[in-house]
Formats: sequence, structure tokens, C-alpha cells
Amino acid sequence: MIVPVGTVLVLSAILFGIGIFGFLARRNIILMLISVEVMLNAVNLSLAGFSGHHEDLRGQILALFVIAVAAAEVGVGLGLVIALNRNKPGAAVADLTKLKW
Amino acid sequence: MSLLSAIFYYMAAASVVSALLAVTRRNPVHSMLWVLALFLHVAGIFLLLNAEFLAVVQVIVYAGAILIFYLFIVMLLDLPDEEARPRFGSHWPFAAAVGLSFAALVWLAHSGSELAPAARGVSAERPMQGGLSEVGMALFGPFTLPFEMASIVLLAAILGAVVLARRRAAGS
Repeated sequence: MIVPVGTVLVLSAILFGIGIFGFLARRNIILMLISVEVMLNAVNLSLAGFSGHHEDLRGQILALFVIAVAAAEVGVGLGLVIALNRNKPGAAVADLTKLKW
Repeated sequence: MSLLSAIFYYMAAASVVSALLAVTRRNPVHSMLWVLALFLHVAGIFLLLNAEFLAVVQVIVYAGAILIFYLFIVMLLDLPDEEARPRFGSHWPFAAAVGLSFAALVWLAHSGSELAPAARGVSAERPMQGGLSEVGMALFGPFTLPFEMASIVLLAAILGAVVLARRRAAGS
């Protein structure tokens, strides 16, 4: 390994924290989904770091499956965004109050 | 510090900066482009971690497919007043606190414990390669069942996206 695995894990934690911040703070539903992608990338980074540390391919295989599930999540999530946009134009999550009474 | 570790630290700094810019830009298209920069830098880090196939998949699937999908949706939805509205909800300091405390917590947890050194058994004779042939042999050997299940997950996602985004015929 070029750098110790701890460095990769700290980088992954910082990226995951940025993703959490974006997911919780943004008002636009598309940018919330993008923040989820940032978090998934952080997780893939730590999986690849562990894989390099233990010289074991399983971490990379797991990261591949994470990417596949992320692609599925994007498809369904953006389909939902389109369906929501058809009912109520705009992408602000604060406007989605139909289930609130 | 060797050249490769200098490259790693550049990639790490650039990915943190582009992630920060991605979650804070006002214009959604600018956010997407910063996320593209993040994905490319993370692919570079994968290369440095001996995960070549993962780096290629990162560029093709994330930067190529997923991000273009997001850009299409942003352009399809046509949000002209997005730049005039506030970027964050009024609760954003709490969100910042949560993100910061998560990163700090993981940092502390890691600095307090030493990771076990890498096992030097079979792998020492045959060093791990993250190349296409090794990953392919693993995917079609011990990981065949999860691989096929991933295809079922993707099929379900395709059907779900079509059902959700389909325009309902009038009256039905």
C-alpha cells in the first residue's frame, strides 16, 4: 500500500460527513440524492482501502455490488422525482407535505 | 514522501474540496460537475489502492451513466427559480454539526485503535491484483450467486423506474 490504511479511512470518513451534511441540509431533492452518491463513494473508498490492507479481493467485489445497487437506487429515486414533479412542479422537499395533517 | 503518496494526498485533498463544493453550490448543474470531479478523483485513488477494475467501473458507471442520468433529470425538470431560492433549509447548522461530529467520531475511533497488520499468508506469495482477470474469476467463481442477484436487483429497478415515471393515461 502506498499510504497507510488509516489515511484512506479518515478520507472516507470526511467524505461521508460531507455527504451527511448535504443530505440533511439541502432543500433540493436531486441534490439530496447526489449527497447519497457522495456517501456511497466514501463507503467504496473504505472498502477498497481495507481490500488493499488485507490483500483480499472481497472488499473490491463488495464495492462492485455497492455500485450496482447505487445504479438501481438512482433509477428508482429519479423515477420518483419525475413522478413527484408531475404532481407538483419544483424540487423542494419542504413542499412535499401531502402526507402531513 | 514518494511521488505516489504525494499523488494520493493531492487526490484526497481535491476530492474533499470538490465534495464540499458539490454540496454547497447554488446551481444544480454546477453541483453535478463538482460531483463529476469527485468521482474522477476517487477513481484515481482506487488506482493507487490497486483496484484497477474498480477504478474503471467508477469512471464508466458513476461518471458515465449515473451522473449523466442526474444531469438529464436536472435539465428535464426545468428549475429556473432554483438559483433564487435558499440552498439550505433553516436547520443547516444542525446538519453541519451531524456531519462534523460523524467525521470527528470516526477519526477519534481510528486514532484510538490500531488496525491489525495485514495477514501475510498465501497473499504474500501471490500478491493481490485488482485487475480484470482476478476480479472476473472471483465474480464468476465464489461470488456467482450475489452477481446474479445483482442482475435481479437491476431488473427490478428498471421495472420500478418505468412504472413510476410512466405518464398515466387520462381516466385510468
